[in-house]
Amino acid sequence: MPASPHTSFWIALLVGIASGSVGPFILLRRMALVGDALSHVALPGIALALIYRFDPFYGVIAFLIAAAFLVFWLEGRSRVPPDALVGLLFTASLAIGILMLPNADVIESLFGAFPTLSLPLLLAILLTAVLLSALCFFLAKRFLFLIVSPDLARVHGLGRGYDLALLLIFAMIVALGIKLVGTLLMGALTIIPASIAKNLAQSMRRYVILSAIFGGAISVVGVWLAESFRFLPGPAIVLLGVGLFVLSLPFARRGTA
Amino acid sequence: MIRLFQAHMSDETVLAVDDLSVTLDGDPVLRNISFTLKQGEAFAVIGPNGAGKTVLFRALLGLLSHTGQVHWRPDAKIGYVPQRFSVDRSAPISTMEFFLLQSPNFWRPAAAFTSQLDQELKLMGLDRAVLRKGLGELSGGETQRVLIASALLQKPSVLLLDEPTAAVDAGFEDTVYALLHRVQIDRGTALLLISHDLSVVYRYAQRVLCLNKSVVCQGPPVEALNPQALATLYGEASFYHHEHGPAH
Repeated sequence: MPASPHTSFWIALLVGIASGSVGPFILLRRMALVGDALSHVALPGIALALIYRFDPFYGVIAFLIAAAFLVFWLEGRSRVPPDALVGLLFTASLAIGILMLPNADVIESLFGAFPTLSLPLLLAILLTAVLLSALCFFLAKRFLFLIVSPDLARVHGLGRGYDLALLLIFAMIVALGIKLVGTLLMGALTIIPASIAKNLAQSMRRYVILSAIFGGAISVVGVWLAESFRFLPGPAIVLLGVGLFVLSLPFARRGTA
Repeated sequence: MIRLFQAHMSDETVLAVDDLSVTLDGDPVLRNISFTLKQGEAFAVIGPNGAGKTVLFRALLGLLSHTGQVHWRPDAKIGYVPQRFSVDRSAPISTMEFFLLQSPNFWRPAAAFTSQLDQELKLMGLDRAVLRKGLGELSGGETQRVLIASALLQKPSVLLLDEPTAAVDAGFEDTVYALLHRVQIDRGTALLLISHDLSVVYRYAQRVLCLNKSVVCQGPPVEALNPQALATLYGEASFYHHEHGPAH
């Protein structure tokens, strides 16, 4: 089945919006690096899928959900997010994935491609992206409460289950976009729209909405640029986002203490 | 120093703590703490840095595992006022949104919620303009009053305050305590507060617990805060020790 431009545009739009919706919470939880590294875990999943001949999407989602549980478990062991451990572990999985992957598939797996998907899988991906975006908006208050004051949130009955929910939503969104954007760059797609919106928004509600809009817009325009100039879609999306981030810097509010 | 206010007190116990101990990483941080808090009273916890005051609060709130008993009255509504926000100052979170964390609907708050918020802002002497400010832009005094107003939105029967004037400008401390005292009198809310300031304890607290890992003294401030207790609490070099000579 040939790669349809419509497939890429729809994935870019809806997964981009989902990435933008979850990004603010990941950024404010100071999990940007952990989140970025998490996407690397997908690579051994892709490699196993190619070796055992099943759709890489299932390998990706299994590995990412397992990684989300692992991060959650590690965070529970220590008060400090165990950045170094997560970084090492996930980089190691990237290395293992590269060794296992057939050479022909390396670039595509790392940096994305215009995906060819069966219609049912495409629809499942799009529907899941919509549901995950809606879930971010629905749980926004609880996620924010745990960010602003974890103790106060726990007194109000918000337990660690919401931390796990955030990680799982994040892992699933990364899984949805990995075919288009690639394992190396998909983590960045969740961080970049949120970083731009953070410089422009004055309130949390606007922050999440703006981030979702930027996520969708950057991805769609990135795919269009990639198609027009025959780039890989992942680098086109990420570079466009980084460019916009630089433009947004003069609007950044003071005070990062 | 005398107590300027005599709050109304009932005998109804809202919190009973019995033989509470907390161990963190193998170190005993609190040992055998017992006290009761009655509805409508102001109860102060004092002690030097590292005495375990915040640990005590966290244990009472169920945030730390402990041994011994912590019994809240079943219908007690607990409001907690932490010292500060955990989020960094650059986070684009408006003060209104911090209050909305208490609202059933975050995206579109109901009119009833907004009118109750207005009432609590007024009580805390805050202008509505503060709602548009970012959390990171608030002054120390505003932050403290926002935190208290937010706790009051739940109409708590008990308010736990962890050094409510720690980040407040010197001249403003009295205002915060006067506001809290009004809440205690007008609404019958019990106050359990950690304080550094002995004059505040004398003026506003009906009872005090002196803590240094275990209970050093307990009772009405004028009786409990005797020179010997203060010397034990803050160390042998304290002013009171020299004034009155060694007690043993």
